Amino acid sequence: MTDTIKKWGMLIDSSKCIGCHSCTVACQNQNELPPRDNFNRIEEREYGKFPNFSRRFLPVQCQHCDNPPCVKVCPVGASYKRQDGVVMVDAQKCIGCKYCLLSCPYNVRVISEEYGHVHKCNFCIEMVLKGEKPACVTTCPMGVRVFGDLNDPGGEISIALAKVSHIRLLKELNTKPSIYYVIK
Amino acid sequence: MLNDKLSRRSFLKAAGVGVAATSALSLLSFTKWRKESSEKSEVSKIPTQCQGCGANRCGIYVYVKNGRIWKIEGNPKANNNPGSVCPRGHGFIHGLYDIHRVKQPLKKTENNTFVPISWEEAFKEIAIRLNLIIMENGPQSVFWLQYPMANAALSFRFMHALGSPNTASHGSTCYVARNAAFNVTYGGLPYIDMKNSRYIIIVGRNPAAGIRLDQLTDLMYAKNNGAKVVVVDPRHSETAVLANDWLPVNPGTDLALLLAMIYVIIDENLYDREFVENNTVGFDKLQDSIVTYPPEWAEKVCHIPKDTIYRIAREFAANKPHALVHRGYHGGYGAGYINSFQTARAVAIINALAGNFERTGGLYMPLKPELGELKEGGHPSPEIPKVPKADGSGIPGRYPLGSYSDGISHAIPELALSGDLSAGFIYHTNPLRTNPNPKRVITGYRKLQLLVTIDCVMSETASISDYVLPESFFLERDDAVDTVHSLKTGQVSIVQQIVKPMFDTKPLLDILVGLSKGLGIEKYFNFTQEEANALRLKPFGITVEDLKKEGVMNVGEAWRDGFKPPKTKSGKVEIYSEKLSALNIDPLPNWIAPLTNPDPADRSSFRLLHGKQSAQTNAMTFHIPMLRQLSLRTDMIRLWINRSRAEELNIKDGDNVLIESDIGRGVMKVRVTEGLHPSCVWMPSGYGGFSKHLDNSYGVGLSYNDFLPTYFDPVVGHVMANEIIVRIKKV
Repeated sequence: MTDTIKKWGMLIDSSKCIGCHSCTVACQNQNELPPRDNFNRIEEREYGKFPNFSRRFLPVQCQHCDNPPCVKVCPVGASYKRQDGVVMVDAQKCIGCKYCLLSCPYNVRVISEEYGHVHKCNFCIEMVLKGEKPACVTTCPMGVRVFGDLNDPGGEISIALAKVSHIRLLKELNTKPSIYYVIK
Repeated sequence: MLNDKLSRRSFLKAAGVGVAATSALSLLSFTKWRKESSEKSEVSKIPTQCQGCGANRCGIYVYVKNGRIWKIEGNPKANNNPGSVCPRGHGFIHGLYDIHRVKQPLKKTENNTFVPISWEEAFKEIAIRLNLIIMENGPQSVFWLQYPMANAALSFRFMHALGSPNTASHGSTCYVARNAAFNVTYGGLPYIDMKNSRYIIIVGRNPAAGIRLDQLTDLMYAKNNGAKVVVVDPRHSETAVLANDWLPVNPGTDLALLLAMIYVIIDENLYDREFVENNTVGFDKLQDSIVTYPPEWAEKVCHIPKDTIYRIAREFAANKPHALVHRGYHGGYGAGYINSFQTARAVAIINALAGNFERTGGLYMPLKPELGELKEGGHPSPEIPKVPKADGSGIPGRYPLGSYSDGISHAIPELALSGDLSAGFIYHTNPLRTNPNPKRVITGYRKLQLLVTIDCVMSETASISDYVLPESFFLERDDAVDTVHSLKTGQVSIVQQIVKPMFDTKPLLDILVGLSKGLGIEKYFNFTQEEANALRLKPFGITVEDLKKEGVMNVGEAWRDGFKPPKTKSGKVEIYSEKLSALNIDPLPNWIAPLTNPDPADRSSFRLLHGKQSAQTNAMTFHIPMLRQLSLRTDMIRLWINRSRAEELNIKDGDNVLIESDIGRGVMKVRVTEGLHPSCVWMPSGYGGFSKHLDNSYGVGLSYNDFLPTYFDPVVGHVMANEIIVRIKKV
């Protein structure tokens, strides 16, 4: 293991997504969420007119921005960004004010009465630190997501990023997400 | 980790269920567990098989954290799901802790309520009643209906010991037309090597929502390697999302499209001549009959432009033998139309023309490792009863192509009314919800003198049974070894106990052992699951312990590319079928129109189609809050309707409409879309529960069975589930 700082990121190829929601439920189990709370949502769009028609599914979760609005607005410092790029919520500090929910342009933060604090995707960081991959990555039959260290030029994700043209969601907001989407 | 502010009460409230009695769990309660989880966590990882859909039985690892089921992952060694799990699988594990579970055996009282009864009492009472019925009406008046799983052989053993041939599966409502056609043509049901295929045509099958994980991984792998995918489906299915071409065929006319493709392949000499000459019979007769079906004819029938038909047929043939037409399942031609059997025959034949049988990237017979027999350990098998099956399956003059193991499940209500059947066992299926015309089904089943349901929850069928025997949830029991994962490699796999049973429940084998004592057939049930599994694994030199460590293991030689004679009478692929000819069934596929059609003069008249969604399995998962919420949150429970047709009827997206057929009516929210053929509406299956015991799913959504008249296809006896015409009206 080298001592270089890692930066976790993800590449999502939504053209491969069949909207099965396996990632959603795998994530709910991994994070012990009640049925109503989910960190992963799948948007759906239709294009064209019968019979020249197509559909697309788009998986959306916390984008782990490098310029995260949620961290800026948190009045108690509960939302923070780790050195490896993962945006986290400190449940002990969170007062449930929902300011971050409003500030997140991706609408991926959840507050539930069960927990009384805000939570969201954290790239399954506990598993990742053990050398495993996030639950949404491994359960997907279509290989929609590639996950890895953006700072490792020889790593899977860097190689995948180099091969395709990609975009980051709502890039005009300058949030600088760590999740990239394949343009296809 | 997260601190715990979750009380069980608010958790249940959030899960959309009333706060019922919080049962004293034999395991930790959720609250206590979460608290302990944050303090310490002892995690173990045990392999077993998922039962979230019953059919694929994916290999999974179950994680147990502090004595409670936490999560599952796919077993990368399992052929059916190389490492992945579907949403149902993830959600289904919560069925273990579901408040609807039946906690002890129940007996129905005279005023139709249920009271607890001990296992011993239940076994005794059922045996006494069954013995009387058998004395009066004979053993063949008893039936067993099941959704076949790893332990399916046990049910046959039990019924054969009693002397009854009447074991049936749900097959007649699902896949029997397809199976019969492939059996006639190839002597069995081949599997598809989509992974190595260059050109894949999928007709009416939607593995992306009627999930089959290995097919999805294979499809993606092939696509990544440049393979072309064509999806033929009146609805833009989730599989069509991956397709290069979506052919929105006029519902019920897939046969016309396939005949025209065969026409092009033969007319332009694009078939594999060598394969056809050496390994098939009756090609010359097909050559004569197919001239009637050029694409110019087909486009008027199936609404796919003739140029498209020419192009797809040529592209398919150009990629032979690494081209295939998917074998299909329920949708399209499993049990859909009066022409389904011949449609499946056309699928079987067009594959043969590509010479792809037993070839890489084509069709192949999946390997079948031979499990050891119980009689090797001194446990004799009962004789197979000589009496014919009451439903007429497999009997010339009745339903000659029906199969012995599937039977005709939706004939049971009729046979109960006529007095041919008097007693029945229902295992892991739910005919009241999965058979056509529930009113008729209820009337029939109520006529039975004895009805026993073995299930984990109070399904619709359990609700009208005399006895409900609760089976241990799959995570609580050891079960039979099986070979369901055998595809290109032979594999044995096992269901094993992950946690101790929470309630007074038993696995199926223990239930049959208990019943057999009072029925005088205990000599056929004098073994334990452990012993039976050891005997089954003996030929492979594998111990039960080995398999429990791995979950899934490879056995025997792997499949190799190259022709092997199919198990037909001729030893060749039977394009023309003597067997069919002898039964007075058309020995070649010729055009047959669907039995019903929407009324062209009535703008509110549509064909009603249905199909699976990824979130739910049949009618067995919607009560589980994790999966229920998924359907509700994503607004899946909607009737699809074509936009131009909706506009004519002034229906907008999200409106409620009244759906009416000759036998039923109901109201449902619509999804207005361009992704559907204008002549039909499409209803997701898995909803429309009416068991009062499953209070959170009662009356949510509808089922296509509410609108389907009772049909028996003349050849196979299937339900013809797509022959439904409905009227749609805004409410």
